[in-house]
Amino acid sequence: MNKGLISFLVFVVGLAVFHNAIFPIFTPKEIGWVLNRYVYFLLFVAYVIITNLILRLKPPIAMTALFVWGLGFYFYKFVLYPPIPWTLFITYMVMWSIGTFLFISQDPETFREFRKPIVKTIVGEYKFAQIIVMIAMPILVGFATYNTIYPSYQEPVELRTVHPAPPATTKVHGKTYPLESTNNPFRIDEQDNYKDSFPFLDADKHEYMKYVTEGGTIFFQNCHYCHGDQLNGLGMFSHVFNPTPANFIDPGTIAMLQEAFLFWRVSKGGPGLPNESTPWSSAMPPWEEHLNTEEIWKVILFEYWYTGWHPRTFGTEGAEG
Amino acid sequence: MTKNTNYIKRLIFSVLAVALMSVPGAALAQSMPDAIKKDMLETGKKVYFKRCVWCHGVEGGGDGPSADRLFTRPRNFIQGTFKIRVTDSGELPMETDLIKTVKNGLQGSAMPAWGEFLSENEIVSVVQFVKSLVQDREWDDEDEEVNVQDFGTNPWGTTGPYHLGVPQADIDAGKEVFLKNKCFECHGGEGRGDGNPTMKDDWGFPIVAADWTQCWNFRGARRDPFNPFNVVRTITTGLNGTPMPNFKDQITVEDRWKIAAFVNSLCPRKNIDPLTNKPIPDFLIQSVYTEGQVSPMIDDPSWQSPDTDSRIVPFSDEIKDNPKRHYIAMAGQITRGKRNFDPKTDDLWVTSRWSAEDNAVYYLVEYHQRFMSQDPEYPDAVAMQWPAKLQDLFGAEKPYFIMGDSKKPVDIWKANFMAQDYNATNAPKPEGYKLKTSVEEFVGLGFDAVSTKESESKVQVVDSIYKQGRVKIMFKRNLKTDGEFDVQIPTEQFIPVSFLQWSGRDKEKDEHMAISTWYYTILKPALPASLYYMPPIMAVVFVCFQGWLIWMTKRTRKMYDEGKIKRDELPK
Ligand code: HEC
Ligand code: HEC
Ligand code: HEC
Repeated sequence: MNKGLISFLVFVVGLAVFHNAIFPIFTPKEIGWVLNRYVYFLLFVAYVIITNLILRLKPPIAMTALFVWGLGFYFYKFVLYPPIPWTLFITYMVMWSIGTFLFISQDPETFREFRKPIVKTIVGEYKFAQIIVMIAMPILVGFATYNTIYPSYQEPVELRTVHPAPPATTKVHGKTYPLESTNNPFRIDEQDNYKDSFPFLDADKHEYMKYVTEGGTIFFQNCHYCHGDQLNGLGMFSHVFNPTPANFIDPGTIAMLQEAFLFWRVSKGGPGLPNESTPWSSAMPPWEEHLNTEEIWKVILFEYWYTGWHPRTFGTEGAEG
Repeated sequence: MTKNTNYIKRLIFSVLAVALMSVPGAALAQSMPDAIKKDMLETGKKVYFKRCVWCHGVEGGGDGPSADRLFTRPRNFIQGTFKIRVTDSGELPMETDLIKTVKNGLQGSAMPAWGEFLSENEIVSVVQFVKSLVQDREWDDEDEEVNVQDFGTNPWGTTGPYHLGVPQADIDAGKEVFLKNKCFECHGGEGRGDGNPTMKDDWGFPIVAADWTQCWNFRGARRDPFNPFNVVRTITTGLNGTPMPNFKDQITVEDRWKIAAFVNSLCPRKNIDPLTNKPIPDFLIQSVYTEGQVSPMIDDPSWQSPDTDSRIVPFSDEIKDNPKRHYIAMAGQITRGKRNFDPKTDDLWVTSRWSAEDNAVYYLVEYHQRFMSQDPEYPDAVAMQWPAKLQDLFGAEKPYFIMGDSKKPVDIWKANFMAQDYNATNAPKPEGYKLKTSVEEFVGLGFDAVSTKESESKVQVVDSIYKQGRVKIMFKRNLKTDGEFDVQIPTEQFIPVSFLQWSGRDKEKDEHMAISTWYYTILKPALPASLYYMPPIMAVVFVCFQGWLIWMTKRTRKMYDEGKIKRDELPK
């Protein structure tokens, strides 16, 4: 069999097998150091090079160029994660195509070799290829034109600042709190001492657990619909709202915030946000309308106890942890 | 000797098992319930009191702090009544049932899926603890037996996520089984759960039958909502503690699969978000341009399209240009004022057309409501909410989504309606109920600052019906009007829109309602004429280019051959 053809089959069949059988293995739920998509891609590249070397296939330069270009396409389209926007994809592919072209035209010999099959197709020495290309290309152009003209709409992407700069002070139930220096009045002890304590059961034994129990009670009467029974932002109503309710398990929310910031956010809710945080669509209630100040502090205490995160503290002030 | 008797015992047992299996509807295996693994209770208690106590309560009585604001309420474990099982009606569940429940949660209720949150060991442990909370029954009682039921196997070998490809003949046969067994007495004529408004569960709390067209809310969906097995399991074992009986003696295993296929065929295939286990909302409502006038009749062919996503099952040819039905997720308004923890509607389906000749846009809003109001003081209602001053909004800016704010008013089109000659206990009525509708237009400057517009009403409800548990309301309004607080509707532009819904039977009014977040709608232009002539032109141009390329290349070759020009020399 023609060596070029074998080389082509090695590539195409290999890709099909790799993509359908091996790719899933390398994209498990928990990404590891070995089991990840980039290692998978390197493996595939290694497979292509090694099989071609071992079988001494020496594919013609035009085919090699096709392989190189195809690998780039495969990488940007299917391997790279998260998927990149279409415009960025085009940009990357233009760069990659230029790179491939430079590779072919590195010296006149490779360049001529590269041109040879193309010229032969054009002038009709490869009759069959010529017919296919000459018919397929105009049809493709027609389709591409149709697709570009066909009006299609996608909802606009909206950006918002998730954690805006808080105000210097906030007034809740008639009292003004400077955010810089306000602490949770119920954080009376080191949280980690109560990791294995039971809400309800230990509420009489430890004052701290009493507050946690009260905070949890408020949470499960008011907040879990949105923030979830697991505090992961996946409550039974969460799918309805956009922006989606905050996920407190995520290191990017309460774990990096000060309790005073939370106090402000919980008291004032969505309507208290500045414009860059799209206050008009945040479903977060201004809790000062439903809860008293103590209840707000207790529910914050509970959120930290449940997730195990510690609030960020200001400098040396405030309790460690 | 002992070896031998053992062998004989096993032989007899397997013969018995085979004999049992071949009797339709008979139990697959009878045994004692799985005993509690006492050594895991310590860990189980820790997990329970951190994660579950808030709903299920300190003693497992289903009376945690959240309970009074949840519908359905958290389970009371004390009686040992569990809904989702593979065992016979009234029996205790297998341990694996409970493990699956804890891992997958109970969709459509507050009970979340713990599979990704807790470790395997924690899950098994907490299940032991839950079992230990059962007071009225003993897991190691001699008299407790559990009979794992025979469910047969999926005869069509359909696969997830959508389980498509069941032959229509089997679905139709399933419908016959449905009619014969009178599931409609509870589940309604088309399965929307609108059959019986007076049911109670074993604890005396009101309960409604499942809406089959929202199978992602089946408690036993096991995060695989389109799988017919779930339905087979439900009708084989019933749901303990609820009026849902088992049908294992009335319906053969083969027929159970057929009725399951029928039940599942009613559930629209939508892309389900694996995190929330609900369909992904269609955030852009596309209004289709209509040549001439738009038909103001819900039953007109131009308005027909399935709820199923056309990317999963493509539209048939007759309706391929019809507008899609868009899925709008709804929740109780629990942000401001009087909160609604118990919304009666989970979602709306919105379809839209507009016409330049008509100078009007039409929105067909549909939703499922099991029971309608019979009290004229509390009619049912649904509304569309728009920015009243669209032209003044900058960038992504919008009014506050709960009835606007003091700076940015909203324009609310509200349809109030009562079903005529309706009684919730009526038998299914295939032709549906006419609605008596009235339209109100409001300006909202905040949920507590909503007033009726002074200008005369320009929104019309041109057609409406309540049929087999589904409300359909068609709004019409001119694109441009002269009211100060009327939204002026541009074409080819993204316009924010959201939805509000009130259930009269639940005495909902004002901000005590169900709500969606902001969506967008766009009035799509007519398909440009260039769509039909540009592609062929471009193709022809390309053909010419190819011809030129061939000619040029051949000419160059010839010139080489004739020595007129020299080929580039390769370096030695
Ligand atoms: C109706 C849904 C809803 C309810 C109920 C709700 N929240 Fe929120 N919450 C949200 C949404 C949506 C966000 C994220 C959007 C935003 O930033 O405003 C949020 C954000 C927050 C944040 C900010 C997190 C951050 O990273 O900035 C805190 C803290 C918070 N919620 C606490 C609470 C507490 C405590 C309760 C109960 C007393 C509660 N929420 C109830 C919807 C809700
Ligand atoms: C936010 C409240 C909530 C939390 C937290 C919660 N559950 Fe539930 N659970 C429910 C509700 C509500 C039901 C009843 C649903 C129904 O009957 O439709 C339920 C039902 C159950 C059932 C009965 C299943 C059946 O087949 O009938 C079990 C078992 C259960 N929960 C276990 C747990 C365990 C274990 C935890 C902790 C890891 C837990 N639940 C945490 C709300 C909750
Ligand atoms: C006596 C009234 C009644 C009849 C008759 C009845 N059901 Fe039900 N069914 C119910 C109720 C009530 C529920 C909801 C239970 C719940 O929410 O926990 C239900 C739930 C269901 C569910 C959802 C189960 C889940 O996982 O949540 C399915 C599927 C179902 N029924 C199928 C059927 C079929 C098929 C028939 C006829 C063969 C039928 N039912 C007959 C009352 C009934």
